[in-house]
Amino acid sequence: MITALMIAIVVLGGSGGDVFITKGMKQIGEISTVHPRRLAGIAIRVITNKHFLTGIFFMACSFFAFLAVLSWADLSFVLPATSLSFVITTLGAKFILKEKISRVRLAGTLLVCLGVALISLP
Amino acid sequence: MKTALTLIVAITSQALGNVYLTKAMKAITSTGSGTNDFVSTAMHTASNPMVWLGTALLLVFFLLYSAALSWADLSFVLPATAFGYVLNVAAGHYFLNEAVSPARWAGSVVITMGVILVSRSSARTIKAEGELFK
Repeated sequence: MITALMIAIVVLGGSGGDVFITKGMKQIGEISTVHPRRLAGIAIRVITNKHFLTGIFFMACSFFAFLAVLSWADLSFVLPATSLSFVITTLGAKFILKEKISRVRLAGTLLVCLGVALISLP
Repeated sequence: MKTALTLIVAITSQALGNVYLTKAMKAITSTGSGTNDFVSTAMHTASNPMVWLGTALLLVFFLLYSAALSWADLSFVLPATAFGYVLNVAAGHYFLNEAVSPARWAGSVVITMGVILVSRSSARTIKAEGELFK
């Protein structure tokens, strides 16, 4: 039960982190420059953006839950389970970020999820 | 094109970063007698240039990943960067001489098919709210 809860934190923390980071980056705007001074200015905006920082916090929670669950559960069980995050993140992108998920993208994402699960098996 | 280039450099940095970190950590734990001592392992890790190179490459990955999210969909970038798993398997096999099971190769093929499908969809379906930094 506690293992399931920790894996849920790993998956939801990672997906939530990605959604918040995307929200922050979209708020800042499209980066289409490689000019160092421009990039430095953008970097300051990024690390002071609330959504971006919330995303980093969620990812840190996910990472520490991952380390904690590995202290008692097998990596070969935990890692395939975390491949679920591809589906959860896509749901977050659709319902929170309002991205349009075409059928071909959905099919591709499901294949990626299956492939990652296969790769993480022992 | 911009999205493809950014993500290719990102996942190549990630795979190389993981290779360097693995090489460094394996070297650290296979030498010296004090490997059970946490402090000495930490000191060896922090003073190993390959650890810093690997960490820097992973940072490059994260910066490029975040940059791509400033214009492209998360639902595009995330599955597309999963191709990094395939590069990691290949790098482990060729550079670190790791044994790769048939299930891992099969997984790599399935991920590649998935990434090809995802890359056929449009990378951006929403607009960034912020300004355009040219």
